Amino acid sequence: MKVIALIAAIMTGALLIYGIEEMPKWGDPNSPASSHVSPLYIQEAIEKTATPNMVTAVLADYRGYDTLGETTVIFTAGIACVLMLRKKRKGGGD
Amino acid sequence: MLDYVIGKYNFWIYAVLMMIGLYAMMGKKNLVKKLIGMNIFQSAIILFYISTGVKTGGATVPILMGHAQEHGHQAIDVAGYLNPLPHVLMLTAIVVSIATTGVALAIIILIYRRYNTLEENEILKIRKDTGV
Amino acid sequence: MIWQLDLILCIFVIICAIAAITIKDLLAAVIILGAYSFFMCLLWTEMGAVDVAFTEASVGAGVGTVLFIAAVSKTKRRSKD
Repeated sequence: MKVIALIAAIMTGALLIYGIEEMPKWGDPNSPASSHVSPLYIQEAIEKTATPNMVTAVLADYRGYDTLGETTVIFTAGIACVLMLRKKRKGGGD
Repeated sequence: MLDYVIGKYNFWIYAVLMMIGLYAMMGKKNLVKKLIGMNIFQSAIILFYISTGVKTGGATVPILMGHAQEHGHQAIDVAGYLNPLPHVLMLTAIVVSIATTGVALAIIILIYRRYNTLEENEILKIRKDTGV
Repeated sequence: MIWQLDLILCIFVIICAIAAITIKDLLAAVIILGAYSFFMCLLWTEMGAVDVAFTEASVGAGVGTVLFIAAVSKTKRRSKD
């Protein structure tokens, strides 16, 4: 079983390493990830949100509903933990 | 070939971290060990995303300097700041990963209360013997 | 960015990851996972992602380790593999 797991992990790693070949060079300022959308955020965040920190500007202003959904996820996880770990009343469940 | 290895060594390291996490999730029998493997896998993916936002050549953290704040109309040099988008997405991912870890640990405690063991093969054997 | 520091931190991270999944004592494995999280946080600071770094230091390394230790203290400490 362990041997199968090791072989599967190594094959996945080989696929990942094969995919690395297509990646842009590390820290390239003209890589696709940093040349399409992010210049807009860097330039306009201070005018539109008056926040010098771009990360918090995007997190709380542009993607405010996303952060609200994240808070819902945390709340649901907390409720689930409390419901699972509470002391059972006698006679209920196993 | 040497450039392929040295210029992208960090991607190799992320692939190795993902392999370690994947092996721990599949090969280890203990449930807490599986969860540790899941944490390692998640942070390897987060590390990969953060590294796509890195820019070499004098780029600093994505917080505006004071002078750019005063002159709002002055053009901001894009190459001087790191890409903020992967940072934002991965902030969300870290918090969600902690939430999943908490729920998984609660389920592990429930499993321990019922079967009195944390080893996967022993749990499967108990389930087979009792015919559940 | 200093690539020597980056390489050293990456090697530390890999050592911590391998140690965390091989140690048989679950409490020690969890503490090593906390050390792994802090090395990850240093790596992100070095890459310039300061917001992610302090979120990881407080949430990932702090709260995560506390949750793991609570779970291990309520269950068994020894692991068979």
